[in-house]
Amino acid sequence: MVEPSRPGAGVDVVIVGAGAAGSLAAARLAAAGKSVTVLESGPAWTVQSLVSSQIWARRLKWGGPRVVLDGANPFGHSMAMGWGLGGAALHHYANWPRLRPEDFRLKTLYGRGADWPISYEELRPWYDLIQGEIGISGDAEAEVWRPPGAPYSQPPFPTFPQAETIAKGFAARGLRTAPAPLAILTEPKGDRAPCLFDGWCDAGCPTGALANPLVTYQKDAVRLGARFLSGCTVTRVNLDGRGRAAGVAFVDAKGEQRTLEAAVVILAASAIQTPRLLLASAGPGAERGVANSSGLVGQGFMAHALTSFMGIFDTPQDNHLGVSGGNLVCRDGWEKTRVPGGFGSREWVIASSLKPNDLIGIAMSRPDLFGQRLHAFMRDDAPRIAHMGALFEPLPLPQNRIELATQKDAYGVPMARLTYALAPETLALVEDAKIEGVAIMKAAGAKAVWTSPIVTNHALGGTPMGSSPADSVTDSYGRTWDAPNLFIYGGGLFPTAGAAGPTFTIHAVTRRAVDHLIDTWKAATA
Amino acid sequence: MERRTLLKGAGAGLIAVAVAGGGMAMMTPAQAKAKSAPYSVLTANEVVTLEALGEVLLPGAAAEGIAHFVDSQLAAPSADCLLILRYLEWPAPYAPFYKGCLAALDGVSQSRFGKPFAKLSPAQGEELIGAMSTGQLADWKGPPAPLFYMAARSDAVDVVYGTVEGFKKLGVPYMAHIEPETPW
Repeated sequence: MVEPSRPGAGVDVVIVGAGAAGSLAAARLAAAGKSVTVLESGPAWTVQSLVSSQIWARRLKWGGPRVVLDGANPFGHSMAMGWGLGGAALHHYANWPRLRPEDFRLKTLYGRGADWPISYEELRPWYDLIQGEIGISGDAEAEVWRPPGAPYSQPPFPTFPQAETIAKGFAARGLRTAPAPLAILTEPKGDRAPCLFDGWCDAGCPTGALANPLVTYQKDAVRLGARFLSGCTVTRVNLDGRGRAAGVAFVDAKGEQRTLEAAVVILAASAIQTPRLLLASAGPGAERGVANSSGLVGQGFMAHALTSFMGIFDTPQDNHLGVSGGNLVCRDGWEKTRVPGGFGSREWVIASSLKPNDLIGIAMSRPDLFGQRLHAFMRDDAPRIAHMGALFEPLPLPQNRIELATQKDAYGVPMARLTYALAPETLALVEDAKIEGVAIMKAAGAKAVWTSPIVTNHALGGTPMGSSPADSVTDSYGRTWDAPNLFIYGGGLFPTAGAAGPTFTIHAVTRRAVDHLIDTWKAATA
Repeated sequence: MERRTLLKGAGAGLIAVAVAGGGMAMMTPAQAKAKSAPYSVLTANEVVTLEALGEVLLPGAAAEGIAHFVDSQLAAPSADCLLILRYLEWPAPYAPFYKGCLAALDGVSQSRFGKPFAKLSPAQGEELIGAMSTGQLADWKGPPAPLFYMAARSDAVDVVYGTVEGFKKLGVPYMAHIEPETPW
């Protein structure tokens, strides 16, 4: 149930953003008896909104104010981000690997980036807890790179033909593959059905197989009494005379200016919109922006670099079967100093299911073809294509940042300006993988191989957690150093990114943070 | 037509078009094309150019309703727009992009061949689009030509192969969870 916006007294908690982190926090806080209101700027999607079509899937992607993009590798914002109930997790691919222990200690081990304020061992119980609640399919034994953790509760996906094909290439090159760890069910779980292998993940999965918030924590939160108000754009975080968060100002679905007082304010509006809101809320006592006494808000934005490989084989590959995220993974070559001149980890994601159209569809993979040659490619070559991708760890560079643009949105709030350029060390990883990826495809028997340009995905960093107010925006629980009742949840907290889809870690970090908030409620709200 | 019906139809893959005698009807782009339904945003000349472009990019795109597809999406609020252009980081609103590019295409066609794009021979059309795709049209006066190539090519692929019928043409099982009610 999504209630219309209405005037009312203050609440215990206001959460800005109804994506993965906001929905999980709402569910936990509502379960603890707190009055919770979630303000979401986008539409009130339901599972019935998730029409199986790459064309209709586009409305799930970002539809809010423009983000001004800059830098040598402009972030692929419009396709990566979501809006509306479920956020980007509504259309995410559910690749749920864990970060590895060294990902949490980059500064100590390699003199690069930053350390997390928590170790893998501290986060591990929260990974395990989320894994049990959500249901992750995989094969922990085969996934030899996986750090210690509870075994998967769901069997792995079957291996589809294009994955079998490509795996031969990995084996020939002495590389190991394993079933991808996916937050997609292979067996029933509660009222959620197992996957049908139809590859509509990007359009949003309405069956409950893929763990999007509508079928997991948002659903729980509503059942437990949390209010989700869609079409409500938060324009400001309000502070009281002591510098604590007092609530938020927002424009409701009818276009009326409103305020909502809250004992606790949680910003979970993405790694782009959260720093934008903090910076745009500058005022007396917070001249550089709310929670920005360090001057670090917006700095250190990260996005993974990705590149794709397509190969044409002699026989049909049934590439329509499977999931958008990939059937197998390979994390050999994980070592961060392996590539001369490079730095960071790499992950191969093997055999994503393919659709004919869209930005990541088969036709777009050969943008040079048009006319009858494009028809011939789609008719004759497309069925014999197998696909894989590689994902690369970025570095948290201060010059990659979110700032306020000179342009303003419809409510007079400055838009976000996002500058992003991959480090030379990351680009070196990509160049290394391009050679290796082509060799793998050829070893698998591909008659022709081509690669995609570098793209960027997963908005991370910009409001990093840390151990000190001097070098971070929040503590390890997302509590801002400047205001003890103002919290940041989501990927923006990541000090470093590893080479792993971030949604599992977002869940684990959020669960740890919100449970701590519940345990320390009196101190937070004193 | 009730707003609720319109919204339901939109979710199913239909577009709303004005019909003779007043009111609105829900059709697929191909149906709208077959019935010569009116356009909301594009002018008659722009429709002619877009359909001709669609035929060069992917023959069959005109009959599958590329012009009605683009027109209907340009008429929608930008947050509801289903064109691939929303992924390509071109700032909304999107109608000026299409109008500017279609005018630029006719402009370079006139300057090179002395006639609008729709009047070019197939070979001339392919030559021009090949140059457009790689940004080799020095006399192009509009938004970036390669970006337009990518957007319009995707529009053509959407209407020809991105539908239930399109999947059938390729022999690909559609396997919908929530299937669009009509062929697209």
